[in-house]
Amino acid sequence: MSAGKAFRDMSPIDMTTASGTGRPRAGRPPRALRLNRRTFEPCQLLVMAIVNRTPDSFYQPGMTWDQEAAMDRVHAAVVDGADIVDIGGVPARPGDDVDVREEIRRTVPFIAAVREAYPDLVISVDTWRHEVGREACAAGADLLNDSWGGWDTRLVEVAAEFGTGVVCSHAGHLPPRTRPFRVAYPDVVEDVLTGTLALAARALEVGVEEERILIDPAHDFGKNTWHSLEITRRLGELVATGWPVLVSLSNKDFVGETLDVMVDERLAGTLGTTAVSAWLGARVFRAHHVRETRHVLTMVSAIRGDTPPACAVRGLA
Amino acid sequence: MITGAALCPSPPLLCPELTGGRAVAPELRAACREAVGRLLREDPEVVVIIGPAAASGPWFGGGRLNPSIFAPAIAGTGSDSPPLAIGLGSMLLDQAGYRGRRRLQAVGYDEAASVCVKLGAELDDPSVRMALLVIGDGSARRSLKAPGYLDPRAEAFDAECERAIRTGDLGALQRLDQTLARDLMATGWPAWQVLSGALAPLNPVAEVLFSGAPFGVGYLVAYLNPCSLSAREAWLSSAIGTLLSEDDQQTLLKAAAIMNRIADSRPRQARGT
Repeated sequence: MSAGKAFRDMSPIDMTTASGTGRPRAGRPPRALRLNRRTFEPCQLLVMAIVNRTPDSFYQPGMTWDQEAAMDRVHAAVVDGADIVDIGGVPARPGDDVDVREEIRRTVPFIAAVREAYPDLVISVDTWRHEVGREACAAGADLLNDSWGGWDTRLVEVAAEFGTGVVCSHAGHLPPRTRPFRVAYPDVVEDVLTGTLALAARALEVGVEEERILIDPAHDFGKNTWHSLEITRRLGELVATGWPVLVSLSNKDFVGETLDVMVDERLAGTLGTTAVSAWLGARVFRAHHVRETRHVLTMVSAIRGDTPPACAVRGLA
Repeated sequence: MITGAALCPSPPLLCPELTGGRAVAPELRAACREAVGRLLREDPEVVVIIGPAAASGPWFGGGRLNPSIFAPAIAGTGSDSPPLAIGLGSMLLDQAGYRGRRRLQAVGYDEAASVCVKLGAELDDPSVRMALLVIGDGSARRSLKAPGYLDPRAEAFDAECERAIRTGDLGALQRLDQTLARDLMATGWPAWQVLSGALAPLNPVAEVLFSGAPFGVGYLVAYLNPCSLSAREAWLSSAIGTLLSEDDQQTLLKAAAIMNRIADSRPRQARGT
């Protein structure tokens, strides 16, 4: 049995006592991240723009269903400061079945078109299926964003085969496209650490390059609002592992429930959480609002002293 | 003697600490309070909480739900949490101020119907006034936004459960298909079987206090009053003793004797005995 399979089959209680996952107990310095031909140093904060090739995702459903609209979205995202585009063909929420063939039809030709238009842009594909990952990598994808926590254990092997990156996420042991139902954890952060680090260890084991592996606590996946707030508050524990941390916060339900607002009123909450997460050491931010997210990250970088202001003359004249 | 049974669901959101600033589902909470209140008005000597869980068996640990497993920001109890249904049942009793004896009985999600029914049938003890607090939920697939997404079969399934409870036709609960219940994420199924085993022979009169699926999960709150002769006699003598003068008591006892003879003369099958 592979490590990935073992991880999936374990109950949350078993997970807390799992060993042999290669998890460093003490803090490790952050590593550089390499995607496509680019290397991103730990101080660089990256925006991953969401491009959904779906008619029914939760935020602005169908907005980039049309290929032309999707390409316009990529152009705008690049102008607004996106470092990565994340292209997905299946919504996370339950709904009409999207089979492998249809997912490939939705994503792969578009990935090829984006690759042609932007040779240096980092292209991520949001999929849990190895068949889709394989076609996407062949079309030029640089990163496999596996939001469902290694459900398909062969996906990571595709990353190794093509020399691409992989996101190791914690979906709370749920199958793809399911919602949390009364989920409970003795310690949600411990469960996230154990799960993501087991996936990262497996990625290394099958041959994915160390500098192309990220971890993602996966807010709201297999978690209620309290759990998502907890993983945000304790994000430093994930950062301390040394793996680059990706967070996907944009317009999610934990923001909506915290503020008691509908999906079109969650930008301020999303950006506030983005700032806190960046301050705690997250490095990649998957977002709908690229320009606003970029502004927040630039502010955090400047506050930390990593980047100077764009223009400072006030009081200096 | 079983004095009554309350049926309540077990969403964590019944726990007031877990839902944040706003009072969530006030009608549901009020209905649970009412059902448990009625249960305790019968002055039971012991309350048995029956709750679905990973495995069957008496629960000897603490009954107090540890809210921090759902909301890490809330201070925990520092001990292992009981199964959700047991913990929420305990919480409802705590909220009602009940300080008497409790028995916590878990019943496995995958337990065979016959085992559940037998468990229920063996609960009754004629020498003890026993109340049942049965915790069970309907389908978690009642709407598009439900935790399990919409399953078109869910509504009819929950409706049949409600009909069986409402009409006191508890034998019908045993005909609810276990595989379908599992498909529909109706976690209350084993608890309904226990309820059926315990109360179906007593021909209960039920009142449904809440029925709905405001978050896509079927919630049913009901109070069931057993109609057995012994329960009625016990109730009568206790009510008569506290409320009425001696003369009136004699008159009423005569009336009760006549009523009981009438009841006894009804066809046995119709009384479910």
